[in-house]
Amino acid sequence: MSRRRILLLIWKEFLELSRDRLLLPVIIVMPLLQLFMFGYVVSSDVRDIPTAVIDHDLTPASRQVVDAFANSGYFRIVARGQDESGMKALMDASRAQVVLIVPPGFGDLMLSRLPAPVEVVVDGSESKTSQVAQGYAQSILAAESSRLLPPPPGAVTPPKVPKLDVRVRVLFNPGLRSVDSLVPGLIAFILLLSVTLLTSQAVVKERERGTLEQMFVTPITRAEFLVGKMLPYGIIATVQVAVVFTVGTLWFGVPFRGSLAVVAVGALLFLLAGIGQGLIISTLSRNRYQAQVASMFIIIPSFLLSGFVFPLESMPRPVYLITYLIPLRYFLVVLRSSFMKGTGFGPLAPQLFAMAAFSAVIFGAALLRFRKKLAD
Amino acid sequence: MNRILAIAGKELLHIVRDPRTLIAVLAMPILQLFLFSYALSFDVKNIPTAVLDQDLTQASRQFVDAFSESNYFTVTQRLSALSQADGVFDRGEDRAVVIVRKGFAERVAAGETGEAAVLIDGSEPNAAQLGQAYATGLSRAFAGRVTAQALLAQGIDPKQQGGIVAHVRVWYNPEGRSAFYLIPGLIVVLIMTVTVQQTANTLVREKENGTAEQLLVSPIRSIELMVGKLAPWVGLAAIDVVGITLIGLYLFGVPFRGDVALYALASLLFITGCLGFGLIVSARAESTEVANLLAAILSILPGFLLSDFIFPIRNMPVVIQFVTYLFPARYFMAINRTLFLKGPGLSVLWPQFAGLAVYAAVALLVASILYRRRVG
Amino acid sequence: MDAVASETGGAGVAGAAGAALDLKALTRRYGKITAVDDVTFAVPRGGLFGLLGPDGAGKSTLIRMLSTVLAPSSGDAFVLGHSIVSEPMAIKPHIGYMSQRFSLYGDLTVAENLRFFARLRGVGRAERDERARRLLEFAGLTGFEDRPARFLSGGMKQKLSLAATLIHEPDVLLLDEPTTGVDPVSRREFWRIISGLHKRELTVLVATPYMDEAERCTGIAFMDGGRVRYLDTPAGIKARVPGSLVEVFVDDDRRAAQVLRELPYVTSVELYGDALQVLVERGPDRVSDVTRALAVSGISPRSVRPGRVTMETAFSELERAGGGEE
Repeated sequence: MSRRRILLLIWKEFLELSRDRLLLPVIIVMPLLQLFMFGYVVSSDVRDIPTAVIDHDLTPASRQVVDAFANSGYFRIVARGQDESGMKALMDASRAQVVLIVPPGFGDLMLSRLPAPVEVVVDGSESKTSQVAQGYAQSILAAESSRLLPPPPGAVTPPKVPKLDVRVRVLFNPGLRSVDSLVPGLIAFILLLSVTLLTSQAVVKERERGTLEQMFVTPITRAEFLVGKMLPYGIIATVQVAVVFTVGTLWFGVPFRGSLAVVAVGALLFLLAGIGQGLIISTLSRNRYQAQVASMFIIIPSFLLSGFVFPLESMPRPVYLITYLIPLRYFLVVLRSSFMKGTGFGPLAPQLFAMAAFSAVIFGAALLRFRKKLAD
Repeated sequence: MNRILAIAGKELLHIVRDPRTLIAVLAMPILQLFLFSYALSFDVKNIPTAVLDQDLTQASRQFVDAFSESNYFTVTQRLSALSQADGVFDRGEDRAVVIVRKGFAERVAAGETGEAAVLIDGSEPNAAQLGQAYATGLSRAFAGRVTAQALLAQGIDPKQQGGIVAHVRVWYNPEGRSAFYLIPGLIVVLIMTVTVQQTANTLVREKENGTAEQLLVSPIRSIELMVGKLAPWVGLAAIDVVGITLIGLYLFGVPFRGDVALYALASLLFITGCLGFGLIVSARAESTEVANLLAAILSILPGFLLSDFIFPIRNMPVVIQFVTYLFPARYFMAINRTLFLKGPGLSVLWPQFAGLAVYAAVALLVASILYRRRVG
Repeated sequence: MDAVASETGGAGVAGAAGAALDLKALTRRYGKITAVDDVTFAVPRGGLFGLLGPDGAGKSTLIRMLSTVLAPSSGDAFVLGHSIVSEPMAIKPHIGYMSQRFSLYGDLTVAENLRFFARLRGVGRAERDERARRLLEFAGLTGFEDRPARFLSGGMKQKLSLAATLIHEPDVLLLDEPTTGVDPVSRREFWRIISGLHKRELTVLVATPYMDEAERCTGIAFMDGGRVRYLDTPAGIKARVPGSLVEVFVDDDRRAAQVLRELPYVTSVELYGDALQVLVERGPDRVSDVTRALAVSGISPRSVRPGRVTMETAFSELERAGGGEE
């Protein structure tokens, strides 16, 4: 293969790409914009859940319970009142997602060491909020219960009640900072997007324009053509990754505890898989819009089934098995581990291996198909 | 008016002449809905868990069972030493480790404090927060059972102990069916990703064909061009909406408690807004690559992350909340959730409807302003 | 720069009332390059005006400005009395524009393309069908109505493009190298169509690199490097060429050319097709002179006769002479 000819092809590709003034901004600015937006935006922590309070009791005990909710940071009191239907209308309007109702007589029941009911209504239309709200509400009520309960009357020694001290600790990301998890994911996603989309269009464009045949009248070999087509997009993707990486670690302080070598290897393998996917798509498409639609067909499921946002283990078994076929899944593990845990080559070997296998298969298939297509 | 019809008619012809793309565009959202409703879940289930039981007593086993028997944690292996926990996390084999300390059963029997810990992998904070909530809840429930047993053994009736009894009710989705959460949201996201890309392509293709010049020479006004370009795609997208909605309602049993006419209106406005957004992208892009890339980036990520689908907008910094107004998804998401699961109509939703209507109009206007009537 | 016109109809100087096209100091720059440089001329109604010049002369740019597709950097032009700078929307309904590349919809049929452009231009249904039929017949495309445009041959594509620009019966037609890359037969047909058109009070401005096509025009502007170098009727331009033409048909044309170039009264010798076009200074009987000169060198041509100065010859001569009005 002639290096000179390949360089020429790369130069041509870049030249064509640069014709569109928007290209450079899109390639560089878009990922950055996303990074900023999502870095500052996305918080999956549920907090400040709008809560309406109906306190029919109005005793110090009931006020303490309400205050416990208000001060927890998880609930934000947005309305207080006595009118139950009015409060429920707030739920309908999504202005409140929790309604706390303290029935009359609560304080007396507590003082008498009798079971004192408290009602919590939770808006079930938003999954996470609902589950978390339920959990936090129960915790707060349990805690207040202990605090408010007066000591048993007349008892000399309190009964021996065993307690459990269960420490639940979150490792690697104790603050549950979403951005730390998102940046690695964003890197992977942008790579996938750019590489697949752009590569799939690249070859189709030549076919649309009829310049494909022109190519093969020249001394350019098929291999050179392929390399010349792929390298520019590989370069672009690498630049994007570098940009996101740098900004992510320097500006957002996303910790990177792993080794660049691991990430580089992983990225390379992932790129190969992505390019392969793009090439296969381009052989199946007759025009660029088709290539685009086909790319989306691959990209969106990859995004959703890779574990980026939705946990893999929650998926039904058959789907879970399918996720083993998605290269993004492995790359995410590699990235997240490298960023947050500092894992080395050893533990990540299975992932890298899997990616290598995939890349080989996809890329090989792409090449075969490509050769066949070009032959006719 | 005639001119608009001319453009719309031509656009329809283009669409029909490309059957592969047509089918893909119609089928994709429907297929995706199937796949994703089935596969995705906000619930965190089956968290792979390693167990380190340093006590090896019946009590400790019962504690571990509380976790393994729940849907939330799945025990995959037993460790023999604490040092192994790091490796487990590094390799990504498990995402939680339950540790029961030596002396657990003894302490509990003696009415003292038994010690245990749960370590959770925080690198995916979304799942981690839920895992934390579950672990805390399970521990508390277990502790409650242990306490009750101890009291009974001492002849004290646990129910007489008093304290807050929490009654938690979940509205709109009492069984916590994940399809209820997912499908209204998926409809929004899937439609957005499909539509934005359609119109993003169409203007650019004219430019690349050379036919854009003929349009420039004719007396057609920009706004007429935009409306004409949009019209056939609205029809396509409407078919998609109907398809997905019917599947959601009849196959997955998602309720629909609101007004169908309102839903139809909202869908139309939303579709128009998204298509208009696509036109904005298309108006300035000079090449299909850029248009496609931009459209993909601007529809997928904001669609999933900025629409309130997964991450509550309420928890985002104010600046970003403003940004979410730039994408029509958030309006439609709120409307959908209310119409499907809650029921009330315009009285509550008029701000969202107004938002959608304004969005659609503004998008079309901006697109026509940006579309240059003249080069240079 | 004002081009001086000859009196035989055709090109006129700026300010002609009722001119179809009236350019005043029209200029277009791209960064450092000036594609169209201070061009001023006018084309009267009903004219068939040719815009000649080598590649890169600025012809396309000029036409695109006139069709309101491209904005000028400075200067102005009036199409049917309306300014391209301030009143483009008033111009668009009355013009038709055909660009260099095929710019119709490949996946639409011939009929659909025409129908689209008719509707786009506000042509009513009744007229639309009638005109389409007529135009297709005119262009020799009857029977191809249902063929997708991308399956037409090059010549047919151009004819279809022309039909599309005519469907709304514009008053001014701007054609940018419409016959480039088209087979000679189609080319001739195309020009037949255009000549027929301009007789109907339609003003046509055509850019073409083919000098022979210029012969048919009522007026010509020759552009080079963004400027108009000559502005005249074909006859006027030819008249400027000093000398006359002798055509020599000979077998060994190279040697003959060599010999002829040595002669003192020969200005230039060019080979076109199978004949040597020999430009000579005026003289009583150049045909005999040339025949004799060749015979002396042992060349006996098949035929020597007087020829007409072609546009081709005219332009290359004027070039050589360092001509062009500045």
